[in-house]
Amino acid sequence: MFERVKRGDDASESADTSRPESDKSFGALRSKVTSRNNEMAVIGSSIQINGDLRGDEDLRIEGNVTGTVELKNSVLTIGKEGKVTAGVYAKSIAVDGEIKGDLYATERVSIHINARVQGNIIAPKVSIEEGAHFKGSIEMDPAAVEKALGKTAVSITEKSVAQTKSDNTAKTGKEADTKVIPPAKSA
Amino acid sequence: MPPNAPVAFHAPLFHDLVTGLSATERHVVLDLGTASTAMLGLLGRSRCRVDIADLAHFGGVDRLNTTKPGPALSSAVNTMLPIRLPDDLFDLVFCWDLPNYLTLDALSTLMNAIAHRARPGAVAHALIYYAERDMRKHPGRFVPTAEGAELIDYGAANAAIAAPRYSPEDLDKGMGRFVLDRARLLSNGMQEFLFRL
Repeated sequence: MFERVKRGDDASESADTSRPESDKSFGALRSKVTSRNNEMAVIGSSIQINGDLRGDEDLRIEGNVTGTVELKNSVLTIGKEGKVTAGVYAKSIAVDGEIKGDLYATERVSIHINARVQGNIIAPKVSIEEGAHFKGSIEMDPAAVEKALGKTAVSITEKSVAQTKSDNTAKTGKEADTKVIPPAKSA
Repeated sequence: MPPNAPVAFHAPLFHDLVTGLSATERHVVLDLGTASTAMLGLLGRSRCRVDIADLAHFGGVDRLNTTKPGPALSSAVNTMLPIRLPDDLFDLVFCWDLPNYLTLDALSTLMNAIAHRARPGAVAHALIYYAERDMRKHPGRFVPTAEGAELIDYGAANAAIAAPRYSPEDLDKGMGRFVLDRARLLSNGMQEFLFRL
């Protein structure tokens, strides 16, 4: 289902070799990985996901994702095969494929050649290669970007906390303690 | 000339417009053409929000020209423009050479819809084929140089269809509530217009 690809030369998947096949296939969702800085999770081209995707590692999407994607401190790449219909929030977002939805990045949004993007971009830095197709709004007013990113971080965090509380309440019948993460500061 | 050889030309009204933007005031810009990093870089020197409609690449031109004038055309126009955000009215509209590819009915419906979402005094910039009898089959891609003194036209040599060569009187009708403010003849056979609301 998910794959992990090396982006450097020192990453090792040896820790995975002893796992059962069914377990290995979900390796990309594990929070502890070796050489984490040199790896990124990949959602393959045959995968379809409907729902909320959250994580704290770099992710490449080559499949179809509908819902929301939140990688607050990480890099999201929508590959050439990737089709995303979602609001996306990440540190940095690069698009080679297709996305319909708003893109929030605390650092940068890069839209590469042949990408197709319909939605709004809120980021301090935006680049659009010639040959890319973009339709939507690009907010470049620093004050408005900061305000929008702050609001988005808060709303996503509130939504996550509310969801977690709801899930925990449903499971245990009482509210669980949850830690509220402060909104990300824009660059 | 190779088919896609870029051709640079001076566009003084465009230059005045982009260099005259205040660095401290917020501006809302509607670009009916294709997004480019160069254009964003130029506009990014001031506090801007840029709405990109890219009508040529998202099927807007054919749809506008083939939809019956009236409510259906107005509805089509509204679906092609970016979502209206509260309190953010357009200050500046870049039409590029798009008006040459629209019927006057389609153009006036489009421009009146834009006028409805624009601030009084808003300015629209357009490039109209004037001396040249032919133009390329589809709207062009114009990218400003770093300081905005020149525009680079990609695919200028692909002339394939007759240009409508709209007169100022035609444009008076076609640009709806936007009225002619200034015009300049350009070295590439086009005429550069500024219209004001």
